[in-house]
Amino acid sequence: MQHSTIEKSIPLMAILTLIMVSIGGLVEIVPLFFIKSTIEKVEGMRPYTPLELKGRDIYIREGCYNCHSQMIRPFRDETERYGHYSLAAESMYDHPFQWGSKRTGPDLARIGGKYSNEWHRAHMQKPQNVVRESVMPAYPWLQENELKYDDIEKRMKVMSMVGVPYTDEQVANAKKDLPDQASSTADGAGLIKRYGKKVPKAEFDGKPEKLTELDALLAYLQMLGTLVDFSGQQTKAR
Amino acid sequence: MADNHKDLDTTGHQWDDDEGFPLQEYNNPLPKWWLNSFYATIIWAVVYWVLYPAWPLPDGFTPGTLGETMRGEYQKEMDEAKARQKVFNDKLEKLSLKDISKDNQLLQFSISGGKALFGDNCAPCHGPAGIGVKAGGFPTLADDDWLFGGDLDTIHESITSGRTGQMPAHLKAAGGNFSDSQVDDLTAYVLSLSGKSSDKAAITRGDALFHGEATCNSCHGDKGNGSLKGTVAGQPLPQIGAPNLTDAIWLYGGDPKVVRESIAKGRSGEMPAWGAGAKESGRKLSELDIKKLTIYVHSLGGGQ
Repeated sequence: MQHSTIEKSIPLMAILTLIMVSIGGLVEIVPLFFIKSTIEKVEGMRPYTPLELKGRDIYIREGCYNCHSQMIRPFRDETERYGHYSLAAESMYDHPFQWGSKRTGPDLARIGGKYSNEWHRAHMQKPQNVVRESVMPAYPWLQENELKYDDIEKRMKVMSMVGVPYTDEQVANAKKDLPDQASSTADGAGLIKRYGKKVPKAEFDGKPEKLTELDALLAYLQMLGTLVDFSGQQTKAR
Repeated sequence: MADNHKDLDTTGHQWDDDEGFPLQEYNNPLPKWWLNSFYATIIWAVVYWVLYPAWPLPDGFTPGTLGETMRGEYQKEMDEAKARQKVFNDKLEKLSLKDISKDNQLLQFSISGGKALFGDNCAPCHGPAGIGVKAGGFPTLADDDWLFGGDLDTIHESITSGRTGQMPAHLKAAGGNFSDSQVDDLTAYVLSLSGKSSDKAAITRGDALFHGEATCNSCHGDKGNGSLKGTVAGQPLPQIGAPNLTDAIWLYGGDPKVVRESIAKGRSGEMPAWGAGAKESGRKLSELDIKKLTIYVHSLGGGQ
């Protein structure tokens, strides 16, 4: 084809440009959907419990990702501080993922279980009470605001639509499982049956009489990075 | 413009048919050095595809002949660090805490390692360099006022197995056995131990309660100087971490209001265990790490 023919016809040039750009995109992106090693299989991953899901929404609402990443890179200076480097599978149920790229505060990918609920309460009330040199703002309203969860079933259904494998049973029991996780009196047998033994279950905000946003946020924080057991060598170097 | 366009080198491509001055494409060849570097990058790309992971394939990717991976690099980095520290770590593992602290080189090595471990694991509660956090009753580690003891072995034990402290509530409304005014009297007596109260009548009444009905002396000692140093009827006290009440150092604060609250509602403190079998309390530390931490905490200023 003559070069001048292409140059003189805008529609033809547009179509040919599109084809060229698509080839680049297809070669780079499409294989990722099929390569097994993109998301290697690991044991222990489960979808978020209703309370954790709500807590995650609060994490996003308050913009925690602006200062905290959730991605431990495979470098010695990171793993010595934060623990085993993050695996793709660990954020397979995150929509959207919270990897982030800005670390004004520390990485939170494995914050779960690292500090007590008591510490987190004092810290959220006023971070400088426990970490003097901290520049983190205070979030005192979290332990005042009642947690609204009328929409939890809908929220979980939306997650199913984008690929989180919530079962019908999990969705149907969401309104019961959610308050159970933040209660020390409820036995939570159903919750444990549906989400496993590792579910952190406690009076997160220290207020048995009220289910607050802090309950949800702490439930989320206390499970972050705890699902995959790294004590055995589960990941091969590749 | 003059007619000199006829002398210029063009690509031969012409847009119009203007006889005098046609619109055409100049041919300005790229500099040789630039072109050659460009070809070199293309050749390098091909070499790179061969040496390193590059092309995605339906069931994997081309791994490259060098076998380099991010995780492989990471493992190498970790192994190198391990090898560098091996000389010291091997000695640290074998020697007792006392012997480590006698060897200056090992001491410095442990303190540097301990400092990094402390910053991440301990400082959130105990503050940077162990200055303590009053709001939560997290003790200062940089002074010589200890709850359980400041010698190497005791610090090691505190880190390995954790500690709990329980001060019962005394006010009736909070589940105790004493009235508002009795709690006031106890507060006055406790404050008087460090010279902060002068209400003589209340102090006398509080004194009687402290050594009598309220049995404070069974944990804090007859002199109120804590379970570590104190005695009751001449006998040493059980090591339960009851603080010394006679000095100016307070775990939760020495303000009369705070002291009263401690007596009225009680206090409970917990230091999680970090040693073996303490997985649920967060990250488990190795015995080697605990040794380094012990030496570091001991070096903060209060080590005995």
